[in-house]
Amino acid sequence: MMKPEPYVVAENVTFRYPDGTVALRDINLRFAEGDFVALIGQNGSGKTTLSKCLNGLFKPTEGRILVDGLDTRHTSITKMAVRVGYVFQNPDHQLFNSTVWDEIAYGPRNIQLPKAEVEERVREAAEVVGLDESTFEQHPFFLPKGLRQRVAIASILALRPHMIIVDEPTTGQDVKQSLEIMDFLTRLHEERGHIIVIITHDMPIVARYARRTVLMAHSQILADGPTRSVFAQTDVLAEAFVEPPQITQLAQRCADLGFAAGTLSVQEMLEQFRSLAARRRA
Amino acid sequence: MSAVIRFESYTWRYSRTKQPALDAIDLEIEEGAIVGIIGPNGSGKTTLAYSINGLIPRQEMGVRKGKVYVMGREVMAYTPAELCQRVGLVFSDPEAQFTAMTVEDEVVFGMENLGLPIEEIERRLAWVVPLTEIGPLMDKPPYEVSGGQKQRVALASVLAMRPPILVLDEPTTMLDPLGRRRVFQVLERLKREYQSTIIVIEHSLEHLIPLADHMVLLYYGKVLLADETEPFFERLAFLMEHDVFPPGVVEFFYHLKQAGEYPADAPLPLTVEDGTARLRELLGGKG
Amino acid sequence: MQKMHKTILGYVPEASPLYEVHPFVRLYFLMVVSIFPMIIGAPEWNLALILVVLVLMKYGRVSLSTLKLYVPISISMGMLILLSYTLLGGIHPEFHVVFRILGFPIYYERIEAAVEVYTRILPMIFVMVLFLSTSRERDVLVAMRWARVPFTMTYMTAMALRAVGMVIEDFSIVRQAEKARGFDPHGKSLGYKLRQFVMYIIPLMALSLRRSEEFTKAIVARGYSFTGLKNVKRPDYVLSKYPFRTRDAVLILIITGFLLGILYLRYGLGMLTLEGSVTQRWLRQWLLGGAA
Repeated sequence: MMKPEPYVVAENVTFRYPDGTVALRDINLRFAEGDFVALIGQNGSGKTTLSKCLNGLFKPTEGRILVDGLDTRHTSITKMAVRVGYVFQNPDHQLFNSTVWDEIAYGPRNIQLPKAEVEERVREAAEVVGLDESTFEQHPFFLPKGLRQRVAIASILALRPHMIIVDEPTTGQDVKQSLEIMDFLTRLHEERGHIIVIITHDMPIVARYARRTVLMAHSQILADGPTRSVFAQTDVLAEAFVEPPQITQLAQRCADLGFAAGTLSVQEMLEQFRSLAARRRA
Repeated sequence: MSAVIRFESYTWRYSRTKQPALDAIDLEIEEGAIVGIIGPNGSGKTTLAYSINGLIPRQEMGVRKGKVYVMGREVMAYTPAELCQRVGLVFSDPEAQFTAMTVEDEVVFGMENLGLPIEEIERRLAWVVPLTEIGPLMDKPPYEVSGGQKQRVALASVLAMRPPILVLDEPTTMLDPLGRRRVFQVLERLKREYQSTIIVIEHSLEHLIPLADHMVLLYYGKVLLADETEPFFERLAFLMEHDVFPPGVVEFFYHLKQAGEYPADAPLPLTVEDGTARLRELLGGKG
Repeated sequence: MQKMHKTILGYVPEASPLYEVHPFVRLYFLMVVSIFPMIIGAPEWNLALILVVLVLMKYGRVSLSTLKLYVPISISMGMLILLSYTLLGGIHPEFHVVFRILGFPIYYERIEAAVEVYTRILPMIFVMVLFLSTSRERDVLVAMRWARVPFTMTYMTAMALRAVGMVIEDFSIVRQAEKARGFDPHGKSLGYKLRQFVMYIIPLMALSLRRSEEFTKAIVARGYSFTGLKNVKRPDYVLSKYPFRTRDAVLILIITGFLLGILYLRYGLGMLTLEGSVTQRWLRQWLLGGAA
């Protein structure tokens, strides 16, 4: 099987803030077609800085990042925005227009698309996130938080970036709302082929949705691989102060009984239990 | 057991909405208990918290019916100053409450408001700073420390006022896993060493469940279920119907119990440690 | 690396001698020394004041690179002052014309006035930068509290300072959010940029409004009412951590002494004025060739 061509390649990326703080140290990372990635780790481990480097808001101090073959250091903001979209955690930071329509149209207008095309993209993005026409003339400020977040995502979608990074999409949401947002991102991934990266602290969400997990700590990448195998590396997780979901912890503590360290769901746990119990009875 | 907080057919409707946020609820909270309050967003959890410390009705517009008793007296019969010495409130966004330029000033602010003498302030600092482990932060601006540290600072600044009742409104929502764990460690110490009455509103059940003596399910303005923690989760099917998603261990053993693979009369394990022991008994036993 | 104190404007090493001084003295320095240029008219003396402030910065181990931030502002302000005094200064037949631009007369007297105003403003900026680089928000409050300013007022100041910090932080995130949506300020017209600037106001207001609501709840929940608790005298724990030493009193006396000295020189002896200053003589020589 051919390995998919990477869309984003980070090579030996180091990022230092102007005051000298090192936020990223020698990062090597690739994102390819079909990736649905969770970026996890403590606050301050470098997740957000890395994401901002990936979409060109920050330029690496050393090393380079290629997005779609373009070096972020020499690529304009406009060109980056249509390749990697970044949804900020707090929708209030990114809603600055006076109607929902203008808000979603803001990006397409910035890249100077013709009027008809702008309109088409706004309608499409609004439809994808489930905003109906009655909201178009409303002021984003007065919408409830859940809707504001959707407007924020739609405003990124309208630029049709191939890769979408969402910073803590489930923070402050209850479990049902979290699942709805994640199901929605999954649809974007499966039906429209976007590469999705979520930054999150919610391990059950990671276990349920992310096929691949990148674990960061101390400005470095500690682990990168299928979620199952990252969660199986208990010592590395402990070093990053990350606890896998409860069910995974249970399986790991009973690994000597035959449970897989990479168990991700209650369903998998039940199946293993039943086959182990049956074997014991036999 | 005496009820330190009692709601009597209490209703609150914000004037901007048609539906009441809390609808004729009856609820008692025992002294010294840790109570977890769960339910989907918009169910009235925050309204409940504000109703205990008087922010409702003082800072909100709305219609109030029924009674809320705190330590035997109706909330409205207290002055705000009296009430805030009895009920401490910690918000989900610690940053929103920071008013001071250093962590030390922040922790001291409430005590200064109470008019405590300097020596007493120092005594309480000596108690609360190690308890919440904020010693190394004292000289920093509170909004520049990490999220988990921020919440411990917020907790310290409320604890320093020594309220017998502590209400935490989603205290770990904005925190990373380590920050979350450490906030719960502080609560655990409070429970063990000071027998405080603590009410925790929380979505993340993993840490809440091992700590809570009682659980309350609020669902769109109604108390649907209130019980001791273990029997509360025996009603898992009911809970899941109402958008409660239990931690993996509880769910796993619940399914085993339903299928007759776990004794029907045995309690559901509520922690990973408990679960591990039960699972070993089931599989590793001598048969 | 040495330990640093974060100040309102950058960092100062923890060991900075200026940091040892009581916050009130620093605030007093700011308030009094900023008056000096208002009294002093002679540009050379105001430039000398800048030198003194620079020496103090060096002594206080303030990174002089913070000043770089102010170079563009200082230059554009100088240009504005010069323009408003000369080209936009109107017609004055009694003044000396140095030269004409597009037929507009440029008067010597107006240039002189512009130089005077500009050299008065510059040291004020330097004094402000020195203060902001060596003081934290807390110091401002401690200074105010020490001066027995009522608590409600110091508290308001605290919130204002805090709000400024938050707005600056929000502002940088909002700008990033704009860029993330393909807004590229390079090569756009000034008008366009200005319009973009106005756009920031919406999210900044939204954030402030939502915050202030939570904020009010938080302080009420901790027993604060703007009228204070009944019969409660607020103790001042923080202030008790900042002893006012003899050295601080001496510094206050020195600063006051300088103020009185300058007042005497200016109004008692009529010195330190533009009239008869070295700069004036030099300007005349250069622009008028000794005429007038």
